[in-house]
Amino acid sequence: MTATQTEVPTPVRRQRPSPRPRSLLYRLDLHASPYLYIAPFFVLFATFGLFPLAYTAWVSLHDWALLKDEHPFIGLANYRELLADDYFWNALGNTISILILSTVPQLLLALGLAHLLNSRLRGQTFFRLGMLLPNVTSVVAVAVIFSQLFGRDFGLINWILGQLGVGRIDWQAGTATSHIAISVMIMWRWTGYNALIYLAAMQSVPRDLYESATIDGASSLRQLTQITIPMIRPTIIFTVLISTIYGLQIFAEPQLFGGGGPSGITGGTDRQFQTLALYLYEHGFRGGFEFGYASAVAWVMFVVIVIAAAVNFLLIRRIRSSS
Amino acid sequence: MNLHSAGAGRPHVPPRRPRLVRGLAAILALTVGGAGLAACGSGSEPGDETIKLTINLFGDFGYQPLYEKYKELHPNVEIEERVAEYAAHHTNLAQHLATGSGAADIEAVEVGYIAQFVAQPEKFYNLLDYGAGSLESEYLPWKWQQGLSKDGKSLIGLGTDVGGMAMCYRTDKFAEAGLPTARDEVSALWPTWDDYIEVGKQYVAKVSDSKFFDSSGNMFRAIVGQAPVGVYDTNDNIVVGTNPDIKRAWDTTVRAIEAGLSAKIAAWTPEWNTGFAQGSFATIVCPAWMTAYIEAQAPDAAGKWDIAQVPGGAGNMGGSHLVLPKQGKHPEVAADLVKFLLSPENQIAVFKEKGNFPSLPKLYEDPAILDFSKPFFNNAPMGKIFAEAAVALKPQYEGPRAGDVMNTIGQGLGRIEQGQQSPADAWQQVLSDVQKLT
Amino acid sequence: MRAFATRLRTSRLTYLTLIAVLFFSAFPLYFSVVVASQDNSALGKVPPPVVPGANLVENVRRVFDTVPFDVALLNSLIVSSTITASVVLFSTLAGFAFAKLRFRARNAFLLIIVATMMVPTQLGVIPLYLMMIRLEWTDTLAAVIVPALVQAFGVFFMTQYLSEAVPAELIEAARIDGCATHRIFWSVVWPLARPGAAVLGMLTFLGAWNDYFWPLVVLSSPESQTVQVALSALRSGYVQDYSLSLTGTLLATVPLLVVFGLLGRQIVGGIMQGALKG
Repeated sequence: MTATQTEVPTPVRRQRPSPRPRSLLYRLDLHASPYLYIAPFFVLFATFGLFPLAYTAWVSLHDWALLKDEHPFIGLANYRELLADDYFWNALGNTISILILSTVPQLLLALGLAHLLNSRLRGQTFFRLGMLLPNVTSVVAVAVIFSQLFGRDFGLINWILGQLGVGRIDWQAGTATSHIAISVMIMWRWTGYNALIYLAAMQSVPRDLYESATIDGASSLRQLTQITIPMIRPTIIFTVLISTIYGLQIFAEPQLFGGGGPSGITGGTDRQFQTLALYLYEHGFRGGFEFGYASAVAWVMFVVIVIAAAVNFLLIRRIRSSS
Repeated sequence: MNLHSAGAGRPHVPPRRPRLVRGLAAILALTVGGAGLAACGSGSEPGDETIKLTINLFGDFGYQPLYEKYKELHPNVEIEERVAEYAAHHTNLAQHLATGSGAADIEAVEVGYIAQFVAQPEKFYNLLDYGAGSLESEYLPWKWQQGLSKDGKSLIGLGTDVGGMAMCYRTDKFAEAGLPTARDEVSALWPTWDDYIEVGKQYVAKVSDSKFFDSSGNMFRAIVGQAPVGVYDTNDNIVVGTNPDIKRAWDTTVRAIEAGLSAKIAAWTPEWNTGFAQGSFATIVCPAWMTAYIEAQAPDAAGKWDIAQVPGGAGNMGGSHLVLPKQGKHPEVAADLVKFLLSPENQIAVFKEKGNFPSLPKLYEDPAILDFSKPFFNNAPMGKIFAEAAVALKPQYEGPRAGDVMNTIGQGLGRIEQGQQSPADAWQQVLSDVQKLT
Repeated sequence: MRAFATRLRTSRLTYLTLIAVLFFSAFPLYFSVVVASQDNSALGKVPPPVVPGANLVENVRRVFDTVPFDVALLNSLIVSSTITASVVLFSTLAGFAFAKLRFRARNAFLLIIVATMMVPTQLGVIPLYLMMIRLEWTDTLAAVIVPALVQAFGVFFMTQYLSEAVPAELIEAARIDGCATHRIFWSVVWPLARPGAAVLGMLTFLGAWNDYFWPLVVLSSPESQTVQVALSALRSGYVQDYSLSLTGTLLATVPLLVVFGLLGRQIVGGIMQGALKG
């Protein structure tokens, strides 16, 4: 019994399957095996994934500083304090702004890039693997490069702007400018990653669809929007969700942009680019090492992410199904 | 939806599976084996006397040659030094202390964090139990104090170096501005910070592509470091709002900002590095440990830097202690090693290599220190200058979150520099931010 | 005919765009080579240098003197390979179940998995560390490998990939033929899953190789350190010697590039094979 026998279901075979012996083993296999397939994952996951989460939820209800031994129970006090903190809302606003600025163009570009990579190219492997170079580049190199680009006094972009007569911009000082710069950093790093995911998904789109479209005279762009996008819709939904989830937890890029030191953690002198993850880090891993408060921040972030993911999911689902 | 219509080229399924399964099994076996080996390797063989000590630092303290010397004296002691980045090092230490495992036998703690850790004396070995008491008379009193617990009964940390301040300046830039360049004359220019600001105004009037100092944060830190009381009183209350010296330091710094003297470059950033090389600022408050850094940053500027007195009198910036977490298994040997590393000859050796200035005042009269100079700094008598700075400074109590408080104030100054807030508003925000740190 | 021509020729614009993209993707890596082959003052120069200097060998020597790099590389290799193999296998198994099999509580389980990705994991370091102490795994590679053997992202990714790539009819037909589920998995699903599995493998390997935060907390001795932890020693002190740390990170990147180079053909081949199937 090989797979080859199953490929071409003839009409006769398709209509009404002849009754098979419903052996116990077969029924067991049908109903129980899914659980077996997910079991390895869940066992390990419950131990090393869920337990830490439950622990941090528990800790968030206490006044828990790493360097102190007393951890009194304080109920929801951490949450109350957090929601009353202006800096929390500031971080939330920054995070959402950076999310939108970095994700929307990034996914569009990734889509276009994957489409280009999907065509027959010379040096395919080269181009395709080249997409991952930004992810392979070390964090240190990224920090150095982008401070060379966006540096106030000696940066390349300011130099170009100076030549064009526009005048220098203090990228770090402004809110909008810092968000743009950070979004560029994020886009640089992750566009190729998403392009590769789209590319893998595009492989399951049969070539003959493109061929017939080309014969019909459809341009490359139309093929992208009319054939590819609808067919890889689940992957697009996936990347939107993943980008939302991880985009709201952005940490490394703003920290590097701020120079990595104390100013990196607070997201600039005026917290103009402090994201929620940096806010969490500031309270949990710096200063007073307030583990309880930081845990509360983590769970509030969870709520924010759930809401954002749900909103994006509904948006994308609607748009795609109408195309 | 006609997915099967292509006809030819059915997915022929070759028997890849066995190979794949074999490969996975091999990798899993490797893991288990690897984990097993690692677990085996971490224990010590029974019956031998080798003692292994671990020491965690946040930078190169110049101790490597000292470990060799120690091993000659004590062949059965192995020393393993691990270095992590400054912030990560201290965070890790806090985590390891909280979870009760993972700290090294000896850890370095910088002055910005020492008060927090000293507030937990039960987590560390009391060095007084290991014969450190006899060293008290050799140390600068305030440095000794910093390592003592609140009740004075436990010595948690033994001081490594101190950060007596001086003012490093670019002689060529000063010449450009028509200012004197010889270090005694330069020191005479600014006995107070207000004089410093005046000189700065002269400087920026004459030199267009450069400012007088790197960032207001550094200047503020220096001025505060010279006051008898800093941001904390001895009862661990934050006194930023009530301490007139703090306000005075703030106002002076604001005046300097408003005079356009700041290059507005945050310290330790890539721009700061570039600033050194490009001469973006003519002066910088430099504690002893910073001199090695300046040298590495701008080798083309060798001979153009010199060292003068800092305005306003002596003050401290930086310095570290070595502590022994209670998780260590060999406190006697570890304490012995610490005393060795911090012995007078070794502190001199480290100074010569790394520029970290000793915390033992009797060394300040040692010719090895007094005669020390470097061509990079125009052969300034660095030893003498920093010795004077270290002796003259008045001790200041550093409370538990002094580092954070200073950062917060520094950010307020940064907001003024970047034009985000007026000085008055920035001060108000600093006060309210600092309240949150209690 | 025009149809054949447009099918076979990829436009010059496409090539130009791709080359430009490749340039921007690769430039920072190239710049690290430039800085790594000079000394720290190179960064201070304006305009910054764009041609490699002669210092690379010297810096490499310094890296190997400062940190036990060969051990760290081996450790990273063991850790990353194991994690990758495990994640790909378990994610494909679970993804198959979620995508194609019917069972009660399927949606609930899937939702839990996705939900856990929405909680920031930085804080999990502390309870995880407590667990490692209990298991006596601190400072062993097991502490870094075992918690990462399964990842929510992997399951989520393979679920949606398989839901697209494996047509339901194929499974139904196999069932009709009396195939047991495991047969269906190995014979039908696994070959179709390969492009997705390959991409997941690459991304997982990358993530495991670059992981810094958790290994830093749990691995302390040089014998057990992974490469990123060992490299952090190069970034230390008040000062940053960029040329040294960039040399270190370059050395850490080389194995990645080698792995990608070697596997790249097969991965791309896998992707291409999926294309031919259509």
